[in-house]
Amino acid sequence: MTGIDDRLRQGLRGYAAALAATQTAPPSSLVWLRAERRRRRAAVERAERPLRVMQAVGLLSGIAATGWLLVTSGLDRASLGTPMLALAIAAPILAAGGCWAMVAASRGAARS
Amino acid sequence: MNAADEVAGAIARGLPEHTAPMGEAEFERLYSATAGPILGYLTAVSGRRDVAEDLLQEAYCRFLAQGPARSGLEAEAARRYLFRIASNLLRDRWRMGDGQPFTEPAESGVAANYDTTLEVQAMLQHLNPKERTLLWLAYVEGMDHAEIAAATGLGRLSVRTLLFRARGRARRLLEGELR
Repeated sequence: MTGIDDRLRQGLRGYAAALAATQTAPPSSLVWLRAERRRRRAAVERAERPLRVMQAVGLLSGIAATGWLLVTSGLDRASLGTPMLALAIAAPILAAGGCWAMVAASRGAARS
Repeated sequence: MNAADEVAGAIARGLPEHTAPMGEAEFERLYSATAGPILGYLTAVSGRRDVAEDLLQEAYCRFLAQGPARSGLEAEAARRYLFRIASNLLRDRWRMGDGQPFTEPAESGVAANYDTTLEVQAMLQHLNPKERTLLWLAYVEGMDHAEIAAATGLGRLSVRTLLFRARGRARRLLEGELR
C-alpha cells in the first residue's frame, strides 16, 4: 500500500503544484469588499424588520378600525360623518406609506 | 451530533469571542496564507476554475460573516474552518445537480512531470466528487481522518472506509484502467 500511497501523494501534489502555478486567487481586497457589501445589506435588512412589522400592523389596525367604525355606525354613512371615514381610510395608508418611505430611504443609504 | 459537528463545535468554542472582528490587514494575511490551497482544493474537486473562484470568494465571505472571523484567530483553526465551508459549498453545488468536471485542466508547461499530471487528472476525472475530496484532503493537505471528518461533515469511521475505497479505485485507475 505504501508504493501506491507514495505515488498518489506525489501525483496529487504535482497536480496541485501545476494548478497553483497556473491559477491565482482573486485579490483579497475584492473579497473583503464583497463581504463588506453583504454585511451592510444584512444590517439594513435587520434594521428594516421592525419597520416591516409596523407597516403590517398599521395596515391591519387601520382596516380593523375602518370595519369597526362601519359596524358601530350600522353602515349608515350619514351618522358616521365624512371626516371620520376619511380619517379611517387615511390612517392605514399613511402608516403603510410612512414605513415604506423609511425602508426605501434606508435602502438608498445602504446602496450609496 | 456527529464527530464532525463535535470538532466544528470545538473549533468554535476555542475561538476568541470577546475580541474585535477581524480587520482588513489581518484578513489579508490570512487570505494570502490560505487562499492558494483552498482554491486548489476547489478546482481539483469541482474540476472547473470559474466555479472554484466563485466558491472561493463565497467561502471567505461566509467566513467573514459568521462568528469566527475575529482578531487573534489561530491560523490553523481558520484554515480548518475555511476548508469546512468550502466542502459545504461544493456539496451544495452537487446537490443542485451542477457537477460537470474538468473543463479546464492544469496547463502542461508548468508541471514538473507532465505525464504524471495528465494521469492524475484523468484519474480525478473518473472518481466521484466525494472520492476526489477525500483523496485531496488526505494526500495534498495531509489531513488525518479526524480533520477530514471535520472538513467534510462525515463521520470519522465513514472517512476511513470511504478513503480506503477511494484509494483502491485510484490505484486501479492509475495502474491499469487508464492505460
